[in-house]
Amino acid sequence: MLKEMIKKTYRWAQKNSLWMIHYNTGGCNGCDIEILDLLTPRYDIERLGIITKASPRHADVLLCTGPVTLQAKDGLWQIYAQMPSPKWVVAVGSCSTTGAVFYGSDTVLGGVDHILPVDIYIPGCPVRPEGIIEGLVKLRERIAHGG
Amino acid sequence: MLRGILSLLIFPGLAFQVLCGLIFEWIDRKLLARFQRRVGPPWYQPAADLVKLFSKEDLMPEGVYDLVEVLLPLISLSAVLTAGLYIPIAGFTSFSFEGDLIVIQFLMSVPTLAYYLAGIASVGIYSFLGGGRSILQYFSYEVPLLIAISGPAVMAGSWSVAQISQAQLGMGPFVIFQPLGFILAVVGLIGKLKRDPLDIPSASTEVVGGSLTEFSGAKLGFWQLTMNVQAVVGIFLLVNLYLGWLNFTAPLVVVGIFLLECLLMVLVLSGASAIFARLRIDQLAGLGWKILVPLSLLQLGFVILMGV
Repeated sequence: MLKEMIKKTYRWAQKNSLWMIHYNTGGCNGCDIEILDLLTPRYDIERLGIITKASPRHADVLLCTGPVTLQAKDGLWQIYAQMPSPKWVVAVGSCSTTGAVFYGSDTVLGGVDHILPVDIYIPGCPVRPEGIIEGLVKLRERIAHGG
Repeated sequence: MLRGILSLLIFPGLAFQVLCGLIFEWIDRKLLARFQRRVGPPWYQPAADLVKLFSKEDLMPEGVYDLVEVLLPLISLSAVLTAGLYIPIAGFTSFSFEGDLIVIQFLMSVPTLAYYLAGIASVGIYSFLGGGRSILQYFSYEVPLLIAISGPAVMAGSWSVAQISQAQLGMGPFVIFQPLGFILAVVGLIGKLKRDPLDIPSASTEVVGGSLTEFSGAKLGFWQLTMNVQAVVGIFLLVNLYLGWLNFTAPLVVVGIFLLECLLMVLVLSGASAIFARLRIDQLAGLGWKILVPLSLLQLGFVILMGV
């Protein structure tokens, strides 16, 4: 009973306080600019309790943009390993979800899901800020249901 | 005995100060958001952040001194909570003695020293840089802050915060006599809290997270709590030293005015962080020693001459 209540409280807190870290694994910077839009007064992601953090040890959500190149592979894995669990990965943009036009290249592995377990895919080239907010809201619902 | 334990744990101790810390953090973030024409976080945001941090895994890199990293946030949190016990809240004092202003100043600088040690003890390069910056910043703001807050003490003829705020009932708020000292104390407080114009030790674009880069989970939660309680204690201290409330008999009015003055201080702090850009560390050291220290000495000399 008490354990259940503590679990519920933790889920509520995790849902309402997502601190995100953003890593570009080799993209064109288009999605990164759209992610910056989230912090502007027009979209203001802080009203959902989401803020950006610079250190992976403070973060809960890893926001990935761009296809995973061979050079960025180890860095991506290290950043994910440095995050304290529970942690979630969001793939932002077509390249990050599938590899898009870079799929099959010698120096590109493909989407982020070649390396990490991805929770939310947000396709688009580049993604609209509304799309990223929609994805993050979906992630919140998922956490609330114990995902 | 029971009374003592209650005042340690509930009012004006742990529960009250943590609650005030969360409320002040929310008001501060909301005000900052409104200054930038944003909506800002909902009212439960600081509590959600804190609970989330305590629910997370606790990671430390290889090679750090485990015990030190656990003890530092706890020591600094208990130091600022202890400092809060000596500060009268709306005229209500539970512990007070002659000279507690000095003790409060000492206890309030414990977190800064712990922050420095945390940077040295965790092995990251960013932590090391943040720690070094925090100690440099400490030497820049602490001297003018100390000289500035000795102004009210000299004027009231006592080094106890309760006595100083009592003295203002007769003489009027000290901010009227020492506006310069008040401004210097606010600048010192911003430096002490590592808030926005002076957030040099934790500037995320330069040193990632400062000393706290390698901290996660419950330890980071305790650091966050320390910062919140430190802000509360600092605001209460300045309100008591400079903005002594008017002489009313109804206790409700006194509490209301005290709250209003605290909110005014939060407004000043978040306004400062909305307006000003971050200084470089050499600019801060120059500002501290070339401008703030002479001004604070001028203010103190003026107060002493006025007493003669």
